[in-house]
Amino acid sequence: MGKTLVIGLGNPLMTDEGVGPLLVERLRERMGGAGDCDFVDMGTAGLRVLHTMPGYQRVIFIDCAFMDEPPGALRRFTPREVRSRKERFRMTLHGQDLMETLELARELGERPDEVILFGIEPESTEPGLELSPTLASRTEEYVAAILREFA
Amino acid sequence: MPESVDINVHHITRVEGHGNIVVKANDGTIKKVEWQVPEAPRFFEAMVRGRSFMDIQTIASRICGICSVTHSLAAIKAIESAMGIQVSEQTDRVRRLLQHSEQLESHSLHVGYLVAPDLLGVPSVVPLVSSHPDVVKTVIRIHRLGNEWMELIGGRMTHPVSIRPGGFGMLPTEDDLRGLRERLEGIVPDLKTLAEVVASLAGELPDFERETEYIALVNPPEYALYHGEIGSTDTNRTVPVDQFESVVNEYVSPQSTSKWTRWHRDSFAVGALARFNLNAEYLTPLAAETAKTLGLQKGCCNPYMNSVAQVVEAVQAVEDGIQLCDELLEAGIEPEKPQVEPRAGEGAGCVEAPRGILFHRYAFDENGLCTSANICIPTGQNHGNIQHDFEALVPQVLPSGQEETERLLKMLVRAYDPCISCSTHYLDVRFE
Repeated sequence: MGKTLVIGLGNPLMTDEGVGPLLVERLRERMGGAGDCDFVDMGTAGLRVLHTMPGYQRVIFIDCAFMDEPPGALRRFTPREVRSRKERFRMTLHGQDLMETLELARELGERPDEVILFGIEPESTEPGLELSPTLASRTEEYVAAILREFA
Repeated sequence: MPESVDINVHHITRVEGHGNIVVKANDGTIKKVEWQVPEAPRFFEAMVRGRSFMDIQTIASRICGICSVTHSLAAIKAIESAMGIQVSEQTDRVRRLLQHSEQLESHSLHVGYLVAPDLLGVPSVVPLVSSHPDVVKTVIRIHRLGNEWMELIGGRMTHPVSIRPGGFGMLPTEDDLRGLRERLEGIVPDLKTLAEVVASLAGELPDFERETEYIALVNPPEYALYHGEIGSTDTNRTVPVDQFESVVNEYVSPQSTSKWTRWHRDSFAVGALARFNLNAEYLTPLAAETAKTLGLQKGCCNPYMNSVAQVVEAVQAVEDGIQLCDELLEAGIEPEKPQVEPRAGEGAGCVEAPRGILFHRYAFDENGLCTSANICIPTGQNHGNIQHDFEALVPQVLPSGQEETERLLKMLVRAYDPCISCSTHYLDVRFE
């Protein structure tokens, strides 16, 4: 297998919105230098994600996701399995939809062979520097689930 | 025939409110014209209270993914002002070099991905990949360089980690700067191409003008982005950054839940066009030539031309970036170890963010713990002006019908690129 990039997305100022950046740091610590893998906390980088993917065969995204699941639920999926519910009014570049960025990467021929998303249903996305208790108590479980991608 | 329209465009975000366009008219009589926005997020100010002055930049950089460099710089300048910290000329230059990377990145993103689809009559950038591949690839090369530039100086592609009170935790090497300089030179042909494309499409921009007060940093004889005082097109008097509250004069409008701002009129505008209108004579040579090519002249009060001013500023960022690389290389990079002892104090910091003038203010106790914070973002300063543009535009375009009126209003909002849902990202998906 070629090189893998793990991208954590979200905002650590907004409680469970910060789960992606937090998990990517945990995974970085856990993996150390093992495996042909890079880790990046992209925060709320929007379309910048486009520039991180070239050169990688596999990209794994970790993000807070509204999926109609119970708070704390983790789901693994590929872009083909979902439809975005974000509107496409395009009033602003802020709050860019990852699914549209992946569509653009595909059109440009820059999308890696394999794209995997781990969505975690939030309990709260209110301002706050800590995860909600529901998500905080399950971070080890999330790390273990994502690590299985490297088994 | 007198027009009746009923426009109700909702920009829905689950988390943080909305930005809605509402227009109602019956038989040519306008009943309602509103730009509806929520209160700007004030959570940050409570969040930093009690935190160390060393932690503020890390938190400030997360306020917005697109403007993370300028939030960091405004915060650091305010902290340094509060604690009486002087920085070296080297630090000053490296910070300005970093700021330019965000200008290039944000402006190319806005013009290429948000405005170009409007001018080419398609709903998003995605269909342009097959219809206008060369244009899209040009934009992507420029945007990509902006990102890599930001990563080189900021230590990370977004949410910079190298900036510290008093200096930098990590400086670029001279080899880094030589490499960057070469790449900046190399992107100039792409910027010229982008300017030519925008010039060829500028006729598609609505011909709408409204006398407006523009506000930006001024610092003659430079095109002010980082240093200076607050200037206005309505007066020759400038105001020190430390008194920014007397310029923005936040007030509550009955038709909006967000606070508006006003100085000499009911509203003012900030952003690329405001900076151009106040500083055009100090543009670098190629940026000045680009403005000419694009037909942009000082005194322009067509808000749609903000996107054109962004193209000019993208060129300015690269030219001045090259100049800063040269200055830094000539002086040689000296290692710095910023050591700062906290002290009690209060200070304001100001920089020009891509979307306009940005203010931060903090107070600290003797241990360097934050006791109060106040930030005033460009988008908050533009809301009142968007409303007043709407009120002037709608009567002019109403006879063109509902669809065209809605298109022009959406384009107007896009020209300002408001930052109304920047603090959250999240996916929102249904499984198929």
